[in-house]
Amino acid sequence: MSVAFGETELPQKQTEILRKAIRLEWLTIAFLAVTVTLVFFVLGNSQAMKAAWIEDLLSFIPPLVFLIAVRIARRKPNPKHPYGYHRSVGVGHLVAAVALVTMGTFLIIDSASGLLAAEHPSIGSVELFGQVFWLGWLMMGVMALIALPPVFIGRAKMTLARELHDKVLYADADMNKADWMTAVGSIVGVGGIGLGLWWADAAAALFIAGSILWDGVKNTRAAVEDLGDTRAMTFDDAKPHPVVHRVDEYLRSLHWVEDAGSRARDQGHVLHIESFVVPRSRRKVAVADLVAAREACVALDWRVEDIVIVPVKELPRVVRESHPAR
Amino acid sequence: MRSNLRILAAGTLLAVGLSAGLSGCASSFPADPDGTLDRVSGGTLRVGIAPNGDWTDMTDDGEASGIEVSLIEDFAETIDADIAWVEGSEEALFTRLEDGGLDLVIGGFTDRTPWLDRAAITKPFTEVSTSDGVEKHVMAASRGENAFLLELERFLLATEGAP
Repeated sequence: MSVAFGETELPQKQTEILRKAIRLEWLTIAFLAVTVTLVFFVLGNSQAMKAAWIEDLLSFIPPLVFLIAVRIARRKPNPKHPYGYHRSVGVGHLVAAVALVTMGTFLIIDSASGLLAAEHPSIGSVELFGQVFWLGWLMMGVMALIALPPVFIGRAKMTLARELHDKVLYADADMNKADWMTAVGSIVGVGGIGLGLWWADAAAALFIAGSILWDGVKNTRAAVEDLGDTRAMTFDDAKPHPVVHRVDEYLRSLHWVEDAGSRARDQGHVLHIESFVVPRSRRKVAVADLVAAREACVALDWRVEDIVIVPVKELPRVVRESHPAR
Repeated sequence: MRSNLRILAAGTLLAVGLSAGLSGCASSFPADPDGTLDRVSGGTLRVGIAPNGDWTDMTDDGEASGIEVSLIEDFAETIDADIAWVEGSEEALFTRLEDGGLDLVIGGFTDRTPWLDRAAITKPFTEVSTSDGVEKHVMAASRGENAFLLELERFLLATEGAP
């Protein structure tokens, strides 16, 4: 069965990647459910452990947003939503990012006030399998155990995010990849308590809170840019999306076209492109030529579906300014 | 670039922690920031006592008695410590505990004590069924003195259910 985002049928390869991504996100959720439970039982009085636990809780949001967004994005465009539901991805991205900013800020204030008040964290004993030992050992053990798996899951998701052009998946993968830092941070914090350095715990918590806030700020910026119709960028916002350039080049190569330029915005997985063409003949443009050009553009890449080709006398300013001839 | 920065930050934190630990007195793990266990072992254990029925009592001439008093006397013996009893109201005792003027406060507290945020509350050392349900009894040690807390909890767990 093939999958469609709105009117856009996904190619075989992308359909498989989407399935893989959905499986990976469910795996992530299952893994998080286990870690959140484990960490909860060994939280104790450590601020660093609390920060790490909250970060784990927040990590539920991106996979959930992804799973919901890809589901909603499949709906067909209708009179009320003529552009389809692709923007669900962007909306989800923004919601997740704002949650990170809020919790990051809260944790920074919480940890800093503990540090300023010179609160000495107390960690006592734990009894496990008939042995009584320091709870800190168990905390560090649990954190060491859960440090690495997210890194591998994150790496796998990153490859899929590129193919699927999904920024929520990208943000999620990026956060997973950095997840080991949180685990190491809390191990350092608890280890510091063990060495009698009461401030190490709050300092490690500040470090973790800082990384949550940074993730939030970075993703808020990216989500706002996309919702604000910044030109279409690659999945990691590194450079303008190459498909737009290919559309322009194709249109310019047509015999009836003198010059062409496009503006494109990112709808989520797919792009919405408006291409302006200056015909060689100032008198008439054949409808058949326009239709053929449109179909050829759609065939260029699966992300191009919603494309409008407009004949004009001269290219609009914004398009002219990104013209390679300039 | 950014991930390099993060690794650098984590590395620095780790290095600071390790070097501080190696250069410092890493004689015990966990260690007490204020060295309580080292000080009271073979020294004096300063215990605040708030009279509370069978758990803790104090006569007019300063003679402490009660279930928790006997427990603490046994504990003090294991670390070769003398005990200096300080009687007072709970508020006065917990304020002194926070200021470092006491090492431990007892007074028949349960794990639902409102002083949870002001002290390191031990694990329950005994459970008592009352008309209000099960009461889990605890003691209150100085916050963050984890070696001392661990030593005390080990002792209490070993004598669990004694009374």
